[in-house]
Amino acid sequence: MSKSESESRENNEIESENRILELAKSKPNGISNNDIKTEISNIPPEVWTKTVNKLLKTGVLELFKDKGVLLYKYKDPSKKTEVKGSDNEEKIVYKIIEEAGNKGIWIRDIRFKSNLNMTQLNKVLKSLETKKFIKAVKSVAASKKKVYMLYNLEPDSSVTGGAWYQDQDFESEFVDILNQQCFRFLEGKRESAIKLGGGPLMCRNRSYVTTTDVHKFISELGISKVQLSVDDIESILYTVVLDNKAERTVNSNGEYLYRAIKPFLDPPGVVRTTCGICPIVDRCGDSGLINPKSCKYLTSWLND
Amino acid sequence: MSAQQGLVVRLILLERFGDIVANVGEIIFQNPNSLYHIAKSTKVPLGKVKEALSILIKHNLASFKLNVDGITAVYTLNIKNVFLMLRFPKFINLIKTKFDEEVEILVEEILLKGCLTGSEVILKATARLQENKNISVLIQQLKDKFASLVTAKYVIKLSTPTMKEEDLFALPNIDLKKLLIVLNGGSETLSDAGVYWTINFDRFHQDLRDQLIVNAVTNKFDENIGELMRILLQQMYVRTAPWVPSSNPVPILEVKEILKKRNTHSQLITHFEQYVNILEQDSTGIIRKVGEASGGSYQIEMKHIFNQLVWETIEHIVNEKFDSKASRIFRLVRSRHYIEPEQIQNLVMIPAKEAKRILYQLLEENFLVVNELKRSAPNLGPNKSFTLFHIRLDQIIRNIMELCYKSLYNIMTRRQHEKYLNKRLIDKKQRVDTITHGMRVQGISGDPVLDIEEMITPPETEILNRIGKMLQKLSLTELQIDDTMFSLEMYLMYD
Repeated sequence: MSKSESESRENNEIESENRILELAKSKPNGISNNDIKTEISNIPPEVWTKTVNKLLKTGVLELFKDKGVLLYKYKDPSKKTEVKGSDNEEKIVYKIIEEAGNKGIWIRDIRFKSNLNMTQLNKVLKSLETKKFIKAVKSVAASKKKVYMLYNLEPDSSVTGGAWYQDQDFESEFVDILNQQCFRFLEGKRESAIKLGGGPLMCRNRSYVTTTDVHKFISELGISKVQLSVDDIESILYTVVLDNKAERTVNSNGEYLYRAIKPFLDPPGVVRTTCGICPIVDRCGDSGLINPKSCKYLTSWLND
Repeated sequence: MSAQQGLVVRLILLERFGDIVANVGEIIFQNPNSLYHIAKSTKVPLGKVKEALSILIKHNLASFKLNVDGITAVYTLNIKNVFLMLRFPKFINLIKTKFDEEVEILVEEILLKGCLTGSEVILKATARLQENKNISVLIQQLKDKFASLVTAKYVIKLSTPTMKEEDLFALPNIDLKKLLIVLNGGSETLSDAGVYWTINFDRFHQDLRDQLIVNAVTNKFDENIGELMRILLQQMYVRTAPWVPSSNPVPILEVKEILKKRNTHSQLITHFEQYVNILEQDSTGIIRKVGEASGGSYQIEMKHIFNQLVWETIEHIVNEKFDSKASRIFRLVRSRHYIEPEQIQNLVMIPAKEAKRILYQLLEENFLVVNELKRSAPNLGPNKSFTLFHIRLDQIIRNIMELCYKSLYNIMTRRQHEKYLNKRLIDKKQRVDTITHGMRVQGISGDPVLDIEEMITPPETEILNRIGKMLQKLSLTELQIDDTMFSLEMYLMYD
């Protein structure tokens, strides 16, 4: 092999690499073998196939299959995060996890996508974890379910459950307190509106508050360690509405307005007796251990 | 009609008319029966059965019709009317607040006897009121008061198939002179013999219904709107039959005029339009504007009101029976009609596990029902089926009615039981009371009376007080349960 021959081949290779890259950059949807053939007809196929293989190996090009046709897509090397010192399996797994974004991906789904067996996958995941490329996050939806995502990502609120979750435990006490405080705020607003006087219509309109008002009040109270968003308060206010303590209307800007209301009725008579709320009323009868004559609940209620 | 209802019916009859009537009532509650069948299944002598049936019929608790064989009569129990007897104290109280004590006695007499002629009512009331009064003035007063009861339609003529509707409230011809003769011990055929009057329950229910609405509106808004509602209802009767689901339009100016004349709620008069606006704009939709003429006219949506009230009643029941979290879930299902458990968990802000527990508890107690939708195509990924929760109001109402019957039965059984346990003591107290009362009437006072009174020892008095309180509590509860049943009945009637 003469020197000039090898030189021209090297030149050919460099040229083909540049042209293929240019071509791939111009077509973000990917290029097929035929595209390459027609664009760079002056370079022999065995040369550019080598180049393509090299590019694929370094990760500059990605291989896709669309309707039976192989496509190469350009991948920006600046975006590409180096998975240093990792083998092909790790790269594939890393890629799958990267695609899942901040929602994370379950280990079973990784297995399906990567076609790796369990022990191998576990090993790969462990090694990626120790290298701090990925992290495992426990999902609130199912306490035993772990999802994997890239190390530098902030988990989505559907995974962590948002402000209401701490270590995937729902903080119901916190929600209850917020619910009470929101109601207190609405009630206070209603009372002050009545005190201010004016016509009844004005009283009513003054007692409406927007979510932002409530949000401000709750933030100033400082009962929350985490920063609550307006949407969080909105959902708390909706529980107040569901408790039949407030009503919700929409104003002309499309914002929700809330107002404390009172119920029509007192608790009905039937639940003021013990029998109305008795958990074992179905088993109560004339004979047997549970009967109205010797009922303990009735006795203690009567002796109140 | 349920077994539990039958038990309550039996107890009601037992408390008021005794064993035989209760037994007869029980038989005809189960099945309409002929006289001989009743006698045979109750094992009561025929004469007694006849007596019991006549009592029931006289109180309008039973009715009869010709059997298919064309010879015998078949007797049926009017279950509704039996339950109405629980409501008598409320009727009497209503009359007392609306009229006065004398009218109350007239109504009480009719309620006690089931039906009476006009003269008989007046005679009985006179006998009770005649102390220290001029009899001829008294019966004149009573006659007028009876007439006002008739015109206000609180009492109604016992109808026969041939009677025309306008005759139902025609005033009877009561001859006071003849009444006086009877009162003084003479015998005379009274002028209105054979014309019997009974209580017009519909009219009482109408009043109770209005009271319920006004109270509800007052609770929700304030006194002023409550008063507005009261006048609106009052004006509704001018143009509308009492029981239609939504009234004919009521011109609002008319209401304003009345309020101005009465001048009791100055706030309401100054801001009249605003108050009307508030009531109309409220999401509960109690009244609806139908026209602009003469300052606007409004319809009262009776059916809608009771729909609202019944929902709230049920929500309260869920709240008390389970807890506030359960009622929150219940309201959410109500507002969304059909909803998946995952959505519920997110919206009610209750931990998933807890929410699920409450959901299935509600399902178990029949407050919610589940609809499962299965996807038929199995090749579309994992075969997921949708579980949708929703509410069947009618079913819940039936359940709550049943719960009312059960509670009523338990309360009444307990009361009887307590009475039975302390029978000796109660009897003793009664005897002592009659003796001391007799002595006082004879003019004896001082030591002899005290001696008799001391026959009940202090511990016994204590027990008696305790029992008294207990029985009072039980009776009060009975009335409260009836309140619940009343609002449910109202809903069912409009439904």
